[in-house]
Order: sequence, then structure tokens, then C-alpha cells
Amino acid sequence: MVNFRALQLANRRKTIGLLAGMGILVLVVIYAALTYFGKTGVGVLPIAVGIALASVWGSYYTSDTLVMTMTGAKVIQESDNPKLFNLIQEVCLASGLKMPKVAIVQDSAPNAFATGRNEAHAVIAFTTGILGAMDRNELQGVIAHEMAHVANRDTLVSAIAATTAGAIALLSDFLTRMMWFGGGRSRDDNNNQQNPIALVVSLVVLILAPIAALLLRSAISRRREALADATAVSFTRNPGGLRQALEVLQADSTVVHQRSTAVAHIWIESPLDSSSVSKLFSTHPPLAERIATLRAMEANPQA
Amino acid sequence: MTTTWIVLGVIVLLVLFAISSYNRLIRLNVTVDEAFSQIEVQLKRRSDLIPNLVETVKGYAAHEKTALESVVAARAKATTASGVADVAAADGAMTQALRGLLAVSEAYPDLKASTNFLALQEELSTTENKVSFARQFYNDTVRSLNQTVKTFPSSLFAGAAKVGAREFYVVDDPANRQAPNVKF
Repeated sequence: MVNFRALQLANRRKTIGLLAGMGILVLVVIYAALTYFGKTGVGVLPIAVGIALASVWGSYYTSDTLVMTMTGAKVIQESDNPKLFNLIQEVCLASGLKMPKVAIVQDSAPNAFATGRNEAHAVIAFTTGILGAMDRNELQGVIAHEMAHVANRDTLVSAIAATTAGAIALLSDFLTRMMWFGGGRSRDDNNNQQNPIALVVSLVVLILAPIAALLLRSAISRRREALADATAVSFTRNPGGLRQALEVLQADSTVVHQRSTAVAHIWIESPLDSSSVSKLFSTHPPLAERIATLRAMEANPQA
Repeated sequence: MTTTWIVLGVIVLLVLFAISSYNRLIRLNVTVDEAFSQIEVQLKRRSDLIPNLVETVKGYAAHEKTALESVVAARAKATTASGVADVAAADGAMTQALRGLLAVSEAYPDLKASTNFLALQEELSTTENKVSFARQFYNDTVRSLNQTVKTFPSSLFAGAAKVGAREFYVVDDPANRQAPNVKF
């Protein structure tokens, strides 16, 4: 059975599983730091968490304005594009969400994104390219996907993932530096009796943890994209519209000009070259996979 | 001593549960009201488009009297409807009449090419979508309200919250009725 309710449930569960995985990774890193460095290793933990929190939550709180500046999106009024506003109002009625702010990015590549920390601060933005390339049904699918991000609070989810991954990266960085400068391992601790294998293992854990955290963060982002597709169908009950829209994106080879990885995850289609990023690190499921899932939903309309 | 604390804890949990169930019922009931008024807003928008549409079609196809008259009649009926079943029935009649008028217009290329008609077309399609999404959202909220009202244990608080099951918005669509019957 492929229907949007089952898909929403499965993707929500997987997100929780992945977030739990992040939590476990944090505990493993703390344990490794304790094993290798003793108490001093854990002393830097609050600093790492503090920096990660400060950097990510600042951008989370101001995401609506920050992302707009980074992507060059300009807010427009209803009179600037009444048809686009009509389509967004339709999706608002279908979802029961408030009307978001609407913005345009001057870019010929077809793409769109949603940001803002909550429903009241939501912004959805479209490139001039996507508005030209898509018909009414396709655009409605794209809008539903972006409004689904708003409904699922994906700015919050990605902020949580970014904070955890950031804290792990900082912690690992601090501790490996401490190691090079010979500080760290306190001799008065009973760690001297530790067996060397445990020490080597904890060192490997500390070095590899940031990569593991990045993998988890990308996996969470991919789940949220799949969830947004399913939620979009729950709004429009029309998997065909979004499927055709994704096919338009697939057929188009132009890519949004800003290739900043900092905001790569927010677009409906990843602006990074798919060949340059391996599937494990990519923030979006492959378009072909998303199209296949939507096709399966079309084949089963009585969902 | 410990038993008192346990009993106290259980009571606190029960009270918290009762409050949240009560609030959920009230909240859902309000959402259903809002969803229904949203349908009415969109139906009103559609009604407001009709005089303009009728005038435009008349200019090119004045002798399509039945189609034009049924739209005008449906509009008159829609303005007086109240209550979920009534509004839904009037809505269905209007959807039907509009579909008929648009089908008739297909035969008039001059009408279809006229600037007035082209301008109306976007308005008509967005309004048709808005009406149907508003219906869908209303029925979704009614479904979750009715589930909460009828299932245990939230059903225990429905009486206290004075919230009951609500009526679905069913539009009688002949297009569905004409679905082919398969006989074996």
C-alpha cells in the first residue's frame, strides 16, 4: 500500500530514529572523550555545545530574513503576481495554514524553497525560472511541497540536526587539537590503567564522529524531503502535479547560481551537482526515487 | 506515605488528561466552524464572479438560454442556503450549472478568445480549486473531530465540552453517479 498517510507516518518515524541516532552518537563521543582524556575531555563539551547552539540558533531565529539575504530573494505583494498568490491561497485552504510571505529569486534555474522558524514567520520563495517553466498543476505541487515544510516545522528539525552535528564536529576538533599539543590526558586519572585498545578505539571514534554526524544530518534532511512530498499530496490529493513538476526539474540541467552549501538543503531540488556529492551526503533523495514514489501514489488513488 | 503520593500523582495525571481532552475537543470544534465559514467565503467569491461571467457569455452566445438561466437560478438559490446540507446542495447545483455553461462556451471560439473571458478563466479555475480545497479541509477536520468524539477515552469528555459529531459536507456530484456499473 502506497498512500500519503502511510508515507507520512514512516518518514516521521524514521526522522525520530535518526534524531535518536544523533543523541546516541553524542553519548558515544562523550564516552570516548572520557576514556581518552579523562575529565578535561568533558570540560570542553559545554563550550562546543555553547558555540554550536549560538551559531545555529541565531540563524534559526532569523532564518526568514537571513536566508532571504543569502539567496537574494525579494518579497512580493499580491498585485505583483496575482496568479501565484491564487495558487498559494489554494494550498493554504487545503492545509489550513496561514498565508506565508512570498518571495522571488531572480534566477533562470527552476527551484523553490521555504524558510522561517514557524507558520507566522514562514516565507516561500520561487525562482523566476520555476514560474516560467511550470503550468498551474505543477506549480501547485511545488507550493504544496514548500507549505508542507512549513507545516512539518522543518526549519526547526534541521536546526536541531545542525546544532547536534555542529557540536560533535567542534568537540572532535577541540579534542584532536588537544591531543596534538600533548595536553589532555591527565595523569592523575585512573586512565593509565586503561587498556590500549580502548584508547585507540576512542581516538578513532573521536576522529570519525563528525563524518557520522554529517551522514545522519543528511539522512534527516532526505527524510524531511520525502515527508514533505507525502504531506504535499495530503494537501492537494494530486500526486500527478508534483510528479510532473519534479520531472520538469529533472529534465532541466540549469542549476541555481549560488552554490553555497550553507543553504543547499532548503531548495526543492538540490542546487549542488549530483555527481559531485555522493548519495550518502546529499540533502535530497534522488529525483528519480521521489518521482517513482509519487507515481506509486497515483496508481493508488483511493488512499 | 508513599501510597498517598502515588494516588495523588495518578489523580494529577488524570486531571491533566481530562483538561487536554476537553481542550482538544473544543479546539477541533472551533476549527470545524472556521473551516465551514471558509467554504462559505469561497462560495461567495464564486457567486460574485457569476454576473460578469453571464454578461460575457451573453455577448457571444445569447441564445444558450438554458445554460445561462440555470447558472443564474443556482446563484439565487445559493445566496439563501444555510446549514451544512443546504449549502452543500446549493454548491453542488452551482458547480453543475457552471460546468454546463463552460461546456457550452466551448462551441464559441470568439467567446473563448475574448479578453474578458480569458481574464475570467484564471479567476474561475482558482475559485473552483479554492472551493474544493475548502470542502476537503472541512471534511478532514470533521473526520478528526468525529473520531475524537466517538472514540474512548476522549468520548467521555464530549458531553462536558458540549461538542458532538458534526455533519460532513457532501456535494452530490452526478459525474460520480454516472460511474460505470460493473456487473457480473
